[in-house]
Amino acid sequence: MSEEQNKNIGNEPGYDIDTITNQRLIKGHVYDGIYELDNDLPPWWKWLFYISILFLAVYLIRLFFTEAPDLRQIEEYNKELAAVQAKAPAAADFQLVLLTDEASLTAGKTIWEGQCGACHLASGAGIVGPNMTDDYWIHGNTLEELFAVVENGVLEKGMIPYRDQLSPQQRLQVISYMLSLHGTNPVNPKEAQGEMIEWPY
Amino acid sequence: MGLEKFTYDNRLAKYFANATILWGLVGMLVGLIIALQLIFPAFNFNLPWTTYGRLRPLHTNAVIFAFVGNGIFTAIYYSVPRLLKTPMFSRVLGNLHFWGWQLIIVLAALTLVLGITTGKEYAELEWPIDILITIVWVIFGWNLIGTLLKRRTSHIYVAIWFYLATLVTVAVLHIVNSLAIPAGLFKGYSIYAGVQDAFVQWWYGHNAVAFFLTTSYLGLMYYFVPKAANRPVYSYKLSIIHFWALIFLYIWAGPHHLLYSSTPDWAQALGVVFSVVLIAPSWGGMINGLLTMRGAWDRVRQDPVLKMFVVGITAYGMSTFEGPMLSLKSVNALSHFTDWTIAHVHIGALGWNGMMTFGMLYWLFPKMFRTKLHSIGMANTHFWLSTLGMLFYAIPLYFAGFTQSLMWKEFTADGYLAYPNFLETLTQILPMYYFRALGGAMYLVGMILLAVNLIKTAKAGKFLRYEEDEAPARHAVTEKEGWHRRIEGKPVVFTIWALIAILIGSIIEFVPLFVVKSNIPTIAQVKPYTPLELEGRDIYLREGCYNCHSQMIRPFRSETERYGEYTKAGEHIYDHPFQWGSRRTGPDLARAGAKEGKIYKPDAWHYNHMLDPQKMNAQSIMPAYPWIINNDLSTSLTESKIRAMQKLGVPYPEGYDAQAISDLKAQAHTIAEGLRASGIQVNDEKEIIALIAYLQRLGTDIYKTE
Repeated sequence: MSEEQNKNIGNEPGYDIDTITNQRLIKGHVYDGIYELDNDLPPWWKWLFYISILFLAVYLIRLFFTEAPDLRQIEEYNKELAAVQAKAPAAADFQLVLLTDEASLTAGKTIWEGQCGACHLASGAGIVGPNMTDDYWIHGNTLEELFAVVENGVLEKGMIPYRDQLSPQQRLQVISYMLSLHGTNPVNPKEAQGEMIEWPY
Repeated sequence: MGLEKFTYDNRLAKYFANATILWGLVGMLVGLIIALQLIFPAFNFNLPWTTYGRLRPLHTNAVIFAFVGNGIFTAIYYSVPRLLKTPMFSRVLGNLHFWGWQLIIVLAALTLVLGITTGKEYAELEWPIDILITIVWVIFGWNLIGTLLKRRTSHIYVAIWFYLATLVTVAVLHIVNSLAIPAGLFKGYSIYAGVQDAFVQWWYGHNAVAFFLTTSYLGLMYYFVPKAANRPVYSYKLSIIHFWALIFLYIWAGPHHLLYSSTPDWAQALGVVFSVVLIAPSWGGMINGLLTMRGAWDRVRQDPVLKMFVVGITAYGMSTFEGPMLSLKSVNALSHFTDWTIAHVHIGALGWNGMMTFGMLYWLFPKMFRTKLHSIGMANTHFWLSTLGMLFYAIPLYFAGFTQSLMWKEFTADGYLAYPNFLETLTQILPMYYFRALGGAMYLVGMILLAVNLIKTAKAGKFLRYEEDEAPARHAVTEKEGWHRRIEGKPVVFTIWALIAILIGSIIEFVPLFVVKSNIPTIAQVKPYTPLELEGRDIYLREGCYNCHSQMIRPFRSETERYGEYTKAGEHIYDHPFQWGSRRTGPDLARAGAKEGKIYKPDAWHYNHMLDPQKMNAQSIMPAYPWIINNDLSTSLTESKIRAMQKLGVPYPEGYDAQAISDLKAQAHTIAEGLRASGIQVNDEKEIIALIAYLQRLGTDIYKTE
């Protein structure tokens, strides 16, 4: 439709008809040659709007008047924790014995490099935390002693406990892997800390 | 009725169009650089000015306020005079508007790369620039309202309704959110803190999307789509309903950015429900846009302009459906802090804003330069590059967002986090970032094609600066009109109604949050930051750490197991501004300093990590910050910072500013001594000491016993 034709249509009385869609154009609604049709709102659109308003009403009533617990996030959280505690697994038969199988050492390596390497370096050479490949130990080097360090951390030195982050089996895996680094003489080792203890393994 | 002759001046429309193209190229290029930084940390160039934390705000500010901003003004300066049958009100105001806006952009770019920032996402510019923005916005508003008052048409068209809503709402958002107390020429502190600051900020952020990126571009759509399609608008009634519903409802939905944060439940709920109610009003715009093209569909195949518009409007429909879905708490629990959000906003930005801008420019240049588009083929190539680029960008990020979130939340059978090492969840999704960078690169190449095509079009034609038109003088309306038709004839009244519509939701949400004390329960142990910690916090802001690290542990077992006790509202009351973040590319730091938490690291670790993150974690993608290690901490503003904080109600003792620097030095000495004891050669004066002090303070107060 050219602007000329539009102007002619606009001069006719009542509604005008858009020749392509056969729908009514609103008289007098012409802006820089742009016309407006007199179409109603699509019914599906109206229903979408009504249903969303209903959702709003129900949601807010549940929040303000029925105090729905699923809309109170701390209650949700407490429920989540309670559900976990209810089905806490029975303690697995766990034995503190040095692991030497390939799978355990690979699992231990992943944990070591991801978690422990941040302070002890992936090579074990130490940087913030001590060198774990030499013969000097601050908190002992028996499995029991090392396990206790991982479990409880050494907070005064800046190492947090890992009892919530690593399962007993994972702690054992990572200690076993760490011990496999013993004597590897990595580059740039941290100076010896603690006392020299004989290698018990 | 005699016809009056008058002349349109196309020069400012052309200027704004050129600026749109220029800043579009810049903004997208910076976007591509930061996308590359995530896969190749070397692209941080080891320089302060080019690290991710500084370039990411530059990218968002450039594409939103420079690219889309100039796009809005192009549309307005071209369409408003024609819709009102009068030239723009004032050439002087127009020029001041144009050059003022470009000056703001240049100042923004400079200050952001220099690390001068408020630390509030999407509102990073410091207070002097905020004042300049206000002045330029008033000039723009004056020019727009002036034009409306001397119009020849009796009524104002729907495009202008949307422009007016943009004008008033952006003004309100900008002023309220930017209120700050200066501590120096380049340093100000948000007057709000913690939960309240987060609330105001996301009211602003969400409605910047609504009123800067959406209503303005709906106005653009209502002019350029019917013009390009040469078809009437589908439904005037729908225009009315969706306009008022959209602006009234949109303003409420901001808190959907804060779901499961320490914002009160009722505020979150308002964010949820008003987002869901927004689907229909948003789709009203989509329907009116797409159905306006009925009768022109045969041309969509050939005409790059219409093609761009169809994809643009469809992307609008998709993202305005996805937005409400992401606002459902159960979906948000999964999507928040992940790349899902990034994908979502880019459907809006690349699809809606980008494509609508391109369509407008391809239509406008041949008109203004009285010639044909240089190459339809090139424009079609651009169309495919941007459409496919958008998909290559977004789809991998949806996958990345999903994957990372599920990894964060997965527990082993015996009740431990399956991926306790955060980095593992990032390394897993890094391959997706290659595709996203590819998609972004395609989009940028498309933009370059547009620039070349339009420059050649301009060269081939002759710019038509003055365009003659004629129309009868405005006549008083004599026939009886419906209420809406009446206010369409009274633009100032119309504007006031629009202002009222957006103030209702704002006031109803703000007042209880600021007045009712129980919304933010106080915690006795929470104390103001020490001067050294405050300076460290400003380094954290300067480097844009919040672009990758959140400080908001949500009350989910998967988060409290990973990061420690969930964050309480009362912990943030001295955080001017809040630093909750929106994307966890790195781990949450809300309890970084708490030994009772799960991610505590000793001072020496932080020192080594800032110096060389890859040494501590080979796969880390965090940039190194050697300048924080090497630079001396400036304490020139410390005293005025303390005074600014006191003005904001932070309870430092009377006259504490005089004592601040000696306290700062004493604390720095203690920390530096500790570092030296662990074998690190460092002076008390270095910036790293302040940053460590801040990080080690994070999340610790609630564990203190008095």
